[in-house]
Amino acid sequence: MHIKKFDFNYGRRALLEKTLKGAAGAGVLAPLWPLIANGADTTKAYPDELTSIEMYTKGKVKVGDVLTSANVDAVKDLLDPIAYHQVKEMGRKITIIAPTKDASKLFQAPYLEATLRNKGKAKFDADGNIVNSADGKPWIGGNPFPDAKTGNEAISNLTLSWGRHDFSIYAIRDWDIAPTGETAYQYDFVWAELNATARTGKDGPYLPGKNDILRYQSVWFTSPQDTAGTSFLNTWYYDQRKFPDLIGYLPAFRRVRTFPANQRFEPLVSGVTIFLSDAWAAGDPMLTWGDYKIVERKPHLGSISQNWYGGRNANWEKPVHGGPKGQTFFDSSVELIPEVLVLEAEPTGYPRAPVGKKRVYIDVRNSMFVAYITFDRRGEMWKSFEPAFGQYIDGNTVMKDKAGNPIWSWTHVMTHDIQSNRMSRIVQAKEVTGGYKSAYDDGGQDVYSKYLTNQAIQRLGVG
Amino acid sequence: MEKNTARVRVYSSFGILVLLVGTAVYAQDEGASSSTPESTVETSADSTPTTTSANADSDSTSSGRGFFRGLMPEFDFTFSGFIRPETALSTRNADDPDNERGNVYDGVAITRHPGDPLTGYGSALPALNALPAPVLNTILAASPGVNGQIPLTNTVTRPIAPSNNVFNYHILRAELELGMKFTSDLSLTARLRAIGDPGDYSDFNAGSVAGLQGGIQGGLPEIYGGAPNLFQYHVQGDKHPNPLEIAGPNYMVYFPALFLDYNHGPLDVRLGNQQIAWGQAIFFRVLDVPDGLDLRRHSILDYASEEFSDKRVPAPALRVNYQINDDIIADGYVQKFQPTVLGNPNTTYNLVPDQFTIQDMYHTDGDDKWNKLSYGLRLRGTFGQFGAQLIAVRRYNPDGVFRWTATNVNKNLPSVNSDGSVNELGAAENGLNNGVTPNPLDPTGEIGTTGQLLAQSAFEASPGGVYSADEWFHYAARVRLDGIRGLNKGITDFPSTGPLLAMPAANFAAAHNELDTFFTAAGGSLRGHVAREYFQETNLGGGVSYITEGEPGSILDQLIINLEATYTPGRVFTSPDLGKDFLKQDNLVAALVMEKYQRFSQSFPATYMVLQYMHRTKDDLLGRSLQGYGGRDTYSDDATTATPGLKGGSNYVVFAFQQPFPNLVWRADFAMLFDPQGGILMQPAVRWKPNGSYTVEAFYNYLNGRLYGNPNNNVISTFDYANEVTVRFSYQF
Repeated sequence: MHIKKFDFNYGRRALLEKTLKGAAGAGVLAPLWPLIANGADTTKAYPDELTSIEMYTKGKVKVGDVLTSANVDAVKDLLDPIAYHQVKEMGRKITIIAPTKDASKLFQAPYLEATLRNKGKAKFDADGNIVNSADGKPWIGGNPFPDAKTGNEAISNLTLSWGRHDFSIYAIRDWDIAPTGETAYQYDFVWAELNATARTGKDGPYLPGKNDILRYQSVWFTSPQDTAGTSFLNTWYYDQRKFPDLIGYLPAFRRVRTFPANQRFEPLVSGVTIFLSDAWAAGDPMLTWGDYKIVERKPHLGSISQNWYGGRNANWEKPVHGGPKGQTFFDSSVELIPEVLVLEAEPTGYPRAPVGKKRVYIDVRNSMFVAYITFDRRGEMWKSFEPAFGQYIDGNTVMKDKAGNPIWSWTHVMTHDIQSNRMSRIVQAKEVTGGYKSAYDDGGQDVYSKYLTNQAIQRLGVG
Repeated sequence: MEKNTARVRVYSSFGILVLLVGTAVYAQDEGASSSTPESTVETSADSTPTTTSANADSDSTSSGRGFFRGLMPEFDFTFSGFIRPETALSTRNADDPDNERGNVYDGVAITRHPGDPLTGYGSALPALNALPAPVLNTILAASPGVNGQIPLTNTVTRPIAPSNNVFNYHILRAELELGMKFTSDLSLTARLRAIGDPGDYSDFNAGSVAGLQGGIQGGLPEIYGGAPNLFQYHVQGDKHPNPLEIAGPNYMVYFPALFLDYNHGPLDVRLGNQQIAWGQAIFFRVLDVPDGLDLRRHSILDYASEEFSDKRVPAPALRVNYQINDDIIADGYVQKFQPTVLGNPNTTYNLVPDQFTIQDMYHTDGDDKWNKLSYGLRLRGTFGQFGAQLIAVRRYNPDGVFRWTATNVNKNLPSVNSDGSVNELGAAENGLNNGVTPNPLDPTGEIGTTGQLLAQSAFEASPGGVYSADEWFHYAARVRLDGIRGLNKGITDFPSTGPLLAMPAANFAAAHNELDTFFTAAGGSLRGHVAREYFQETNLGGGVSYITEGEPGSILDQLIINLEATYTPGRVFTSPDLGKDFLKQDNLVAALVMEKYQRFSQSFPATYMVLQYMHRTKDDLLGRSLQGYGGRDTYSDDATTATPGLKGGSNYVVFAFQQPFPNLVWRADFAMLFDPQGGILMQPAVRWKPNGSYTVEAFYNYLNGRLYGNPNNNVISTFDYANEVTVRFSYQF
């Protein structure tokens, strides 16, 4: 028999009160982060109705159930509005799985270690950039504000390390679904990101001589033929007030050219609904946006585990369903997250941006976003950017790093332009056209030279 | 022998293709099973992991595996391509005036006024009985049928029917691309392009004038002897000057790219047939000097947004890139010299009047040898908002230069015209130069027939050439040559013209008379032979760029400003008189480029805009000396030059924009090239990509070289016959 310690609405009421107070930390019954630091069960920080979907829905939905249009109303306030619409109206189905209790499963191990090691050492300098409070230098790795209490702290955690690896390369397969439900476009592309500062590895937090750079990030398309070779390199300054440098290789021009970096709300290729600005819900230097505020703390359903298909599909691709042709959505699993921050911000540095506001749902345990909505300038909901994360464990198949830790990364993303009803869904594949494979460390290679320089862009462009 | 050689080349090329494709197919199998080198995948022994179907719409993983992965764990291949019909419909009632059937004098009766050689052609010959020279008079009077009373002034009409093609261009293009990755450092890229054109244009055919003046004899028969040869690029003595290209009159197959790429750390080495492009400026080739252009197919009138992607002539090259540090990259190359390829005579966008016969000396002069190399080095750096680049190149100018050259066509001037009438002047010339007795009017005493003498001159007495002095001057001005001095160089550079009674003309009136004399004597027209030669030059260039920071969202925010310039000391130009002494001038080419992405609405993605200004001190966009500019159809009688030239250099302005629509399914483009001397090219375009497989593009070329002023002072007039709508439909796989 389950004995409830508090009345049913206690948890939600407590989260609401924390939101209104403004500067509270994570956890309801107890502070969350001491539990994480001690490797304890994080559900102890929350009342039962925030850790059990069955209790939350008073038995209407339980672990193992599949959300459909028939039962989704029971969890409507646990989904972002676009996800709810997809299930309610478009035939999307989502499997409910048991919640993750061990927060270490929400991190790549070195990143969690750095987060714990450096907890309390971060501060904002006079310009609004995050520095190590001991010496005023760039951040030294891990989440700078693991128990984020303000909007700026929350976006800092997302911005300083996107993939939570010092270097990662993602082999990405993309399908773009037309309003008719048919696949209109299919692309393969590769995304590489290398942190120059805020690193967690043994070689220290900074790449030598690159303290002024936050990251290098490149993207290049490998298929289909008319798009292959299109490639871009972003060089992000550590100073988050500055736009990244952007160079690109367009196959028609046969050479690397400089591009302006402030146009971040444009589709890169036909049919794709993802913009540079959408990356990691923090695709722009954080100080080029403003008015960050935490507008809500709440429980949420998010895809944060068991979404990797490495044991079921050789290339890690996923089954699809729903929509007019049965292929609009990836199969996905969600679990109840006891507490997310709902962060809102406006593109203050982009007065002509089509986006008027973004709303980001952030799991307070790993400070990673689990849902992300943008609104147009009229205030109308525009796009959702729904990721799935998790350890790369699928049944008995486990992908590990060199230290033997399971890989943690994103597994898929679905971006739904609700206004045009176009869906882009991407999967982190094992390998895509061109023989590029996903990887999460440099493997002993000079990855900077191979993927993240002017010369590399010229070569990857293959002209 | 030639056929056998060609067949071997065809087989060889297809063999390469089959080998590449075969290798790729053999390498393919299903699924990925190997782990990445960086991470490990573990599956416990008692597990039976199943592989479920991937996305229902997943087409393939496109990854090569199998046997080759056993040898090379990183082995992979990709194979893709597209096919695309392209059609251009003319919207103007005229064909290329540089072609026989587009010649503005076709069907136009022109009066010719032969001149008196004994007065330096200063006066026209009124009639045979008025000839002042007894010797010539006697000879002419002795000609059969000559009664001594016939006026020599005559009327000529180009005997070629004008045409008005509806289709300027219709081809089917196919491209196959194979990428093979052997290791993470070593890869191969092979791109094969095949183009076919069924022809079926209202073309000139040399066979149609075979009965006139003995037909066209000079030049390469496959280029000048029949219907237009749409694709074959032949030079004197070599039918395969482009390595890795197989072509017939109606098709071509070649490798725009076939190279190995080796990368290790900051070093990148690319070896093989490749294109190299430098510089930030688009369309304006300032630092973009490594490659010539292939002007076959659609010449420079293709889809502007693709710039020269289809045009750069690939060359066997070794290119080495080295990233010196974060900011600076060194980029060097050495390549076999490959010239710019001109459209063949009578093809739709031919740039050289067909009254000329070109003898391309690329092979004859040994410029096709593998030791004739172009090479260069570029240093490029980016320093925050600033960028800079420097180039130093030693190259053969791929555009080449032209001069009069001997025809080597031994064909006598006709004594009887094609219509059976007596050709008095031809008969007189043949009488004076009968090959047996000395020419009584020639102080050199040289003995030869008119055919032998003409063979040593730049003129061939054949149809399809220039029929009148009026035509001569019109076309000289059109191609930016000096009609008076050009005539004189055609005489003084070739002593054999002396016995033919040719002599330098003192002025326009004399030149006009003299030209009409010889066109009449030729029994119709003369074709001029020019040699195309190539010279080395040094290009020194640099560029700076700056990205502005302004009020966010303002027009001055994130504006990319780029200034590029290239200096070429002693560049060799075609002399406007086509003399053997080429023009040598120091040339500076500079461009200011401003690029901007600007959002004008919330609904549409940012508009890309580019504004460019180019200044060239000594030549035009086509590399023609400005000294040949300003020509006209007629001049004052005492004029001694026909080209005043263009003072102050040439200037060009480009404005272009691209407006993508939401989701990039549609895109509207516009490009404009403005020549302040009175020419404009505008190209509105639309692109529709409804899905990943199909793309439709349509663009309209509007050209007007007659906005104001002398059309021969702007570059657009060279192309302004080519108003057209082009539609392309692509299917990729």
